[in-house]
Amino acid sequence: MKTVMVVVLFLTFASTPAWAVLGEYANSVASDQQVMHGEVRAIARQGYSVQEIKSGEQTVVREYVSPSGLVFGVAWHGPAMPNLQQLLGSYFAEFQQMRGVYDAGSSQTVRSNVRRRGPIVVRTDKLVVESGGHMRSFHGRAYAPRLFPQNITPEVVQ
Amino acid sequence: MTRSNKLTIQFGFVLALATGLLGFSGCGGNSGGSTSPGGVSPVSNTQAVAVNIGPANNALNEVFTEVTICNPGTTSCQTIPNVEVDTGSEGLRLLSSQVTLSLPAVTDTSGNGLQECVSFADGSYVWGPVAAADIQLAGEKASSVPIQIISDNPSFAVPSSCTSGGGPNENTAAALGANGILGIGVWQQDCGFGCTPSSTSIPPWYYLCPNSVCTVASVPLLSQLQNPVWTFPQDNNGVMISLPSIPADGAQSVAGSLIFGIGTQTDNALGTAKVYTTDGYGDFQTVYNGISYSNSFLDTGSNGIFFLDSATVGMPICANYPGFYCPASTTTFTATNTGLNGTTAPVSFDIANTEALFAANNGTNVAFSNLGGDNPSSFDWGLPFFYGRKVFIGIENETGPTGTVGPYWAY
Repeated sequence: MKTVMVVVLFLTFASTPAWAVLGEYANSVASDQQVMHGEVRAIARQGYSVQEIKSGEQTVVREYVSPSGLVFGVAWHGPAMPNLQQLLGSYFAEFQQMRGVYDAGSSQTVRSNVRRRGPIVVRTDKLVVESGGHMRSFHGRAYAPRLFPQNITPEVVQ
Repeated sequence: MTRSNKLTIQFGFVLALATGLLGFSGCGGNSGGSTSPGGVSPVSNTQAVAVNIGPANNALNEVFTEVTICNPGTTSCQTIPNVEVDTGSEGLRLLSSQVTLSLPAVTDTSGNGLQECVSFADGSYVWGPVAAADIQLAGEKASSVPIQIISDNPSFAVPSSCTSGGGPNENTAAALGANGILGIGVWQQDCGFGCTPSSTSIPPWYYLCPNSVCTVASVPLLSQLQNPVWTFPQDNNGVMISLPSIPADGAQSVAGSLIFGIGTQTDNALGTAKVYTTDGYGDFQTVYNGISYSNSFLDTGSNGIFFLDSATVGMPICANYPGFYCPASTTTFTATNTGLNGTTAPVSFDIANTEALFAANNGTNVAFSNLGGDNPSSFDWGLPFFYGRKVFIGIENETGPTGTVGPYWAY
């Protein structure tokens, strides 16, 4: 029992990173950037815009904003899973309900025919979430089909 | 260079820690793939693995092994069976219900125990303290490395960042489908630089909970969970996983091998395997139908080959099994993998009707080489890819027999 390892340093986060929120207005990006200690880049596209927040060495979150300022899609890539509850905002409840089908059977005493710890795809007419990857490289996207600007297709969210 | 010198040089700022981590007895390791000039005697480097229904009778395409853990530096040990072998993560995680040893906690200087929360792509997670243990696999030994104890009755409430994926806490054998996870991917640590004090943005991964309030902690590399393989005195530059081919309708159980080291003994030569180096995320590129999926990877911890979507592949999702493909008949696909080093070659694979697979052999088969499902943003080459192949995993900073330094895959 002599081996005590030492965690040399710890820091307290002011709060959990508040990322862009699906279905809300994009005016919170400045504070997102502050909380994430991130670097924000705005990119204008034909018919929508992209706000990209980079934090740390490997984490990037992009939010896709309609001309009226609504976030219609978000995409992520980083070593840890993003906070989906914050990212999906009011859509999180729908996600949680729909993702439950992936867990059905996980407590059965026969083979669970589920993708355990694998990627997940949730698709309804209101919400699409695609989450994949592995530890050190999680990537995915979420979008609200009903919030898409005219002539914009889901392919732009990536 | 001995293993301990190498660590001391690399991580001199945690010297005391390195000493603790590297308390293996007497012999020097070697830093590369070649036979040690220091005269380390070869040890058994072959660990049996098996694909079967697992400890809770509910596993699907999971490969297991048994792991012996010991109180550091002692002969007080226990062996835990049915630990999932996972090339998509790093470090040993064990269900608290399986661990009978009283292992020393990894703490900060004030004695606060380090805690860890790890979320998976589907939003499920594991949570619990970090403790130190010796890990024995075949004749190899990792001395005093941090492991995670997955709590079924945690001392501290699960942080909200852990539960924000909306998935279950996998803290029982039924939920985890295993008694633990042995992460032996391409990295040395589970989190790496991003969780260290030098990182500019610490992800919610490790925690300290003074006064029962848990906050995100930054943790030096050597106090993080370690891929045990790179800390072995020998056979430490990577692993090879070998699983036989299986029938098209699957199998109830499959026996294979996890072999430590690449090109270090007669049983782990690269042979004709091609080396694909990865990017900084452990990923390579897969091209299908002219479209590139740059975050693609090999993962024994994924139970299918997950790729594209129903519309793109022209196969429906099964009515009864969400996330799995149900083509009218078995369909062959070809996609091309390209490493960061430019190595490129096509891979052909079959996707069968999942309903038919699950019904075969009275529904008792659990190993399948042709099980697949949707995953539109990358190719997740899960366990089906590994049947009938020898797959090598080169660990970061470690040199393989061709002179290639990890991270890389070879097959």
